Amino acid sequence: MRRALAAAALAAAAAPAAALADTQQVLLPGPTPYPTPSPPLATVTPPVGATLTFRIHASSDQRVTAGVDAAGRLVRIRALQNLHLTGTGDYLIVVPAPVLDVQAGPGSQSQPGQRRGQILWAGFAAKRKLLSADALLRPGPVAPFLPLRLRAARDGDRYTLTLANATEVTQVAFQGTASKPELVSLLDQTRRQSLAHERLSPVYVTIAGLVSQRPQKARIVAPLLVSGELRFPQAPTSAAGGVVDGRSVRFSFVLGDEQPLTRRLEVTGGGGEPRVRVEVTPTAVVRGLRPPGGGASWRSSRLPADALLRRLIDTRMELVRSDQYQGFLANPDSLGLNSTSYVYETASARRAAPVTTSSSGESSGTLVVLLAIGGAIVAAAVGLVAWAHS
Amino acid sequence: MRRLVIFLAGVALLAAGCGGSSTSSSPKNLVIAVDVPVTGSPYIAQTIRQGVELATSNLNGGGGVRVGKQSYMLRVKPYDNHLSARQAVEDTRRALDAGAVTIVTDGTGVDATWQLARQKGVSISITYDGGSGLVDAEKRPNVFRIAPTNHGIAFRYAEYLIPKKLKVGLLSDDSAYGREGASDVAKAFSENPESVALKLTLPAGQPDLSAQILRARRSGATALLVWGQPPTIAAVLSAARSIGWQVPVYTPPTGADPFIRQQLADHPKWVDGLTFASGRLTAEVGTGPFTNFQSQYEAAYGPDPVGVKTSNGQKVVQPPEFGMYSYDFIHVLVAAITHAGSVEPAKVTSALNQVTAQGANGDARGFNEHNHDGVVDDDIYFARFHDMTYQPVQDDPLSATLPPIAQTR
Repeated sequence: MRRALAAAALAAAAAPAAALADTQQVLLPGPTPYPTPSPPLATVTPPVGATLTFRIHASSDQRVTAGVDAAGRLVRIRALQNLHLTGTGDYLIVVPAPVLDVQAGPGSQSQPGQRRGQILWAGFAAKRKLLSADALLRPGPVAPFLPLRLRAARDGDRYTLTLANATEVTQVAFQGTASKPELVSLLDQTRRQSLAHERLSPVYVTIAGLVSQRPQKARIVAPLLVSGELRFPQAPTSAAGGVVDGRSVRFSFVLGDEQPLTRRLEVTGGGGEPRVRVEVTPTAVVRGLRPPGGGASWRSSRLPADALLRRLIDTRMELVRSDQYQGFLANPDSLGLNSTSYVYETASARRAAPVTTSSSGESSGTLVVLLAIGGAIVAAAVGLVAWAHS
Repeated sequence: MRRLVIFLAGVALLAAGCGGSSTSSSPKNLVIAVDVPVTGSPYIAQTIRQGVELATSNLNGGGGVRVGKQSYMLRVKPYDNHLSARQAVEDTRRALDAGAVTIVTDGTGVDATWQLARQKGVSISITYDGGSGLVDAEKRPNVFRIAPTNHGIAFRYAEYLIPKKLKVGLLSDDSAYGREGASDVAKAFSENPESVALKLTLPAGQPDLSAQILRARRSGATALLVWGQPPTIAAVLSAARSIGWQVPVYTPPTGADPFIRQQLADHPKWVDGLTFASGRLTAEVGTGPFTNFQSQYEAAYGPDPVGVKTSNGQKVVQPPEFGMYSYDFIHVLVAAITHAGSVEPAKVTSALNQVTAQGANGDARGFNEHNHDGVVDDDIYFARFHDMTYQPVQDDPLSATLPPIAQTR
């Protein structure tokens, strides 16, 4: 996908017709493509026919629950996906996911099927239907696609929890000469959509003369609204980065959107390890689109046009990245709306087997079997040779 | 010298074991057993066997099934279970001895045969009996089914009838089929007891059910859901209509059995309005796929005559619904063989959970690790008889989308 974007940007820059034209319409980022293939999780290519027909539309809301150990490492992950179908007709839906087990979620009007790497739905929808899948996933392959990383440590009486936005990606972006009034209008429109939590609508900007690739790739981050609670065995004596409330320390902030990508909570006291609960939601770009001086429009901005274009492109890419994390499991309707909330919470101790690689148990099991077979063949051959020469 | 010969033979054996590139020019045979009640329920037995034979014939005509560089021709080995579980066990043993990769059955004796088959990794596919306990992906991992389930039919009936504000008389006969259906129907209506006028068990095989039907009428029933063998349904219709009671009668797939129309051929009006539930014959793509299948089926075996005529003298034929299911299973099986890259029964059985094939009616057919039923409940539709043929009803969202299938010749 990133290569495609780069190629598109270069093609736009290199196209002779474009270069020669006085002005040209250049598509701004949004609503797609996403800068990386995942999320949504991708494990298999859906079989032929496993797409929704034009008669059926789907919106998806999800809750991803990540169980973490005392050090903040992922040990367990569960996704509850509600697909709200509208329309009348057949559906055959394949949701790619490294699924260990799947059951129907609350209120589901059908039962999900399970195959290796797939959650399956098949049936007939009459106007409206809720398909709810409660899936236990393999943590290894999923971990790289979670939006937040946690790292916890204890040093004597001091407990620290580091929360880092893990959505950063670099992207090719273009530059050129655009008119300030048009940029102002586009920034205002983008801001309105962002504040209303709407998916971006596709828009073009008029560029005069050459379009070129920016010398530096843009660093893009999905803004994350993070809130949570650390619940200690005893009341902490102090907390930096959060507010002490009895035995709990509460916190809430945004990672990204012109704010730090990492936050650190330092708690003194507490009498032991806390139970962690952090809720994360990909959110809107607010600061990045706030007009200078706090006005209602970018009209009053004194920034030059090239800076406005840069801001417009970057903030739109951030909104695209935020939208990408709204669909952790795939929505079979590519135009359907998605929303996902991520909850990180302390997993029970008996499950605390941290995941450090994305390799599956399946593949390592296969390797063991292959080695065993190979070893047996070699041993048999050696035995035969030895016996024949004895 | 002798040791050297044995050594060389050993090396050759190892090489054969290791080599994946050896070629085989002559196709091998792959046995598919079909165990059906030829002498107990001949129509069902025949249509299931013919569905399997049509699929294998088509596949063999295209060169058979290819696994790596080896081709396999599918050979059908028929057995007659006489509707007897004991005979089904015997047939299963013989099929396993014959090296069958799968056993296609109407469902007779599966409670007793699945473990035998499982010991050899062999799958069993049911293509008629919708009994709820027969298929369980967890407990019976080698049992699959492509046929509408009793559970699905019962719940679809509840979904269809309860909003009509009918007082439904739930009648079932005392055959195994009737008892199983009664259990599923009771569950489906359990949350709406106000919709049930009475529950009544009927003696299977009893041609005169006048007393029972009179009792149902006196209970205030405004509809009858009759879960039983075809003779039971024919007897219910006879008893109700002969006293002038035009109560709507609803049935499971047995309501479409030719036997009922044959029995009531002298009173075709008594059949009018009879509604049955079954798996839909056409999918969203239209009639094309099923019509194509039906044409192939009839070209190979001729149409299945019902033995009655419409009011304008046209002969009525039965669409090959259950032949379609066995036909579909063979295609899913071949997809599994290809997926497994092996004809080893255990690997094929495991791969059945991972594949989908296009069914004869255009629907996707397949199983998964949680569900070994290839006809989803949503695909159950309702059809109503008129003039000895049936059409999908128009007051059910799914059924209303389905076009009628030609049933006269």
